[in-house]
Amino acid sequence: MADRTDLAFFGARQLAGLVRDRKVSPVELTQLYLERIERLDGRLRAYITVLPEAALASARRAEASVMRGETLPALHGIPYAVKDQFDTAGVRTTSGSRILEDNVPTADATTIARLNSAGGILLGKLNLTEFALGGTQQFPFGQPRNPWNTDHDPGGSSSGSGIAVAAALCAVSLGEDTGGSVRSPASFCGVVGLRPTWGRVSRHGSFPLSWSMDTPGPLGRTVEDAALLLQAIAGYDPNDPLTSHAPVPDYGRALGDSVRGLRVGIIRELTFGADTEPEVRDAVVAAARKLEGLGAATEEVSLRLVPLAGAIFMALADADGAGVHHRWLRTRAADYDHGTRRRLLTASLIPSVIQQRAARARALLRAEMLDLLARHDVLLCPTAHQAAPPIAAARAAIATRHEAAGRFFTRRSYVTPAALAGTPAIAVPCGFTRSGLPISVQLIARRFDEATLLRVAHAYEQATDWSKRRPPDTA
Amino acid sequence: MSDLTTDHVAALAAALGLQVASDDLVEVTHRLNALIEVLEPLAALQLETVEPTPGLADGPPAS
Repeated sequence: MADRTDLAFFGARQLAGLVRDRKVSPVELTQLYLERIERLDGRLRAYITVLPEAALASARRAEASVMRGETLPALHGIPYAVKDQFDTAGVRTTSGSRILEDNVPTADATTIARLNSAGGILLGKLNLTEFALGGTQQFPFGQPRNPWNTDHDPGGSSSGSGIAVAAALCAVSLGEDTGGSVRSPASFCGVVGLRPTWGRVSRHGSFPLSWSMDTPGPLGRTVEDAALLLQAIAGYDPNDPLTSHAPVPDYGRALGDSVRGLRVGIIRELTFGADTEPEVRDAVVAAARKLEGLGAATEEVSLRLVPLAGAIFMALADADGAGVHHRWLRTRAADYDHGTRRRLLTASLIPSVIQQRAARARALLRAEMLDLLARHDVLLCPTAHQAAPPIAAARAAIATRHEAAGRFFTRRSYVTPAALAGTPAIAVPCGFTRSGLPISVQLIARRFDEATLLRVAHAYEQATDWSKRRPPDTA
Repeated sequence: MSDLTTDHVAALAAALGLQVASDDLVEVTHRLNALIEVLEPLAALQLETVEPTPGLADGPPAS
């Protein structure tokens, strides 16, 4: 058997096989991750709430099922953790805010219920930027830190979901992606993060930001694990009328298929644009070349509105968020972190003509993307224009509108096109900077075609060893 | 579109029943002006005939 650190870094699918074969027990696995949380999370602050007693009780029940020889569901005995944006029955759910620090839901979010039904063992609730907005200056439950360099940002808003997977503080995690909130932490923390098609996964029981873009999504150390988690949570939910009735395919089935003959469009504006750091560009171009080497056909493509995607997104999603928060902004403004409050106040004041233009431009951008995706199996670009920046950079005061534009719109233009178009997208590690921070390539596919997305991502992952590296000081 | 001043922003917020603390006012003004300025190129597009509908979950499946 592998040593305990190796075991902690195994993929969830691999661990599930060991549980089924009685080579490792759910109790042993749960204890292993709880010990690691105890030892490492004081520094990383991935968790807001850890549930040792409940997790061990679930693990004991799971172990008993194994010993009775029962038929075991896909995630049986696998310790997972969730962004503290998802309701958990009887467990405090803060959305990363003091405003909800005493909020204890009475029912599970649909995704949580499905993960538990699939045999998962909930270890705890993960840190996030306040109300999943991004831009938090003072985290009320501790500053989350990037495991590759703790002076650097782990990404957001699903910050803890990225950290916990990267540092093996759980086997897999669940995040939520409105405009990059799964893919950004996956990118900065060097793990895999999947934004499913909007409507593929229920939003029920998840604190809302933008009704037409919010979607839960998995993070894992491998593409296979992202597929495993998606399988458990995908599908129609009568509690979310905007979920799709489309059947859920077997996402694992296509993972081993070749990518020979697939068409990959490299988004020119995001890959070769002036905002993209050279180290990022080079790593992403190398990823495209790797796919070529595996038999895919690549070509550069253009999306003319993409440079405005971040601002279009903020004009729409932030305005939705302002609507959600209006009552608290009037009555509890001082209880927000000041970064969150300023963002929501700004969003409250966006002129309607600007919102209308943004909504119509969104429809154009989506049409451009769907047209490209009619001719290409996937689109490819960097997940972020840079590797994880220092935490201090996000705390600097904003003294001009130019600084505001640079801080808020540029980086979002990389992850928001898929959100605006409602398409699935995945972030996959594709290299490291000279200073040792992860770089990530993003793949985007047709709506409801997660199978192709996962197939291409898996083929790339198997042809490289980026996903096998571990952050320092996580033994 | 014209630049908004801190007085404009405070007045707009007041109309919505929102108080903007003096600590927040300058940055909120920068943020709002930045968003309006960055999206100004959209005014040159023929957007009036584009329906502003988000994608629907049960639209055409992947082909």
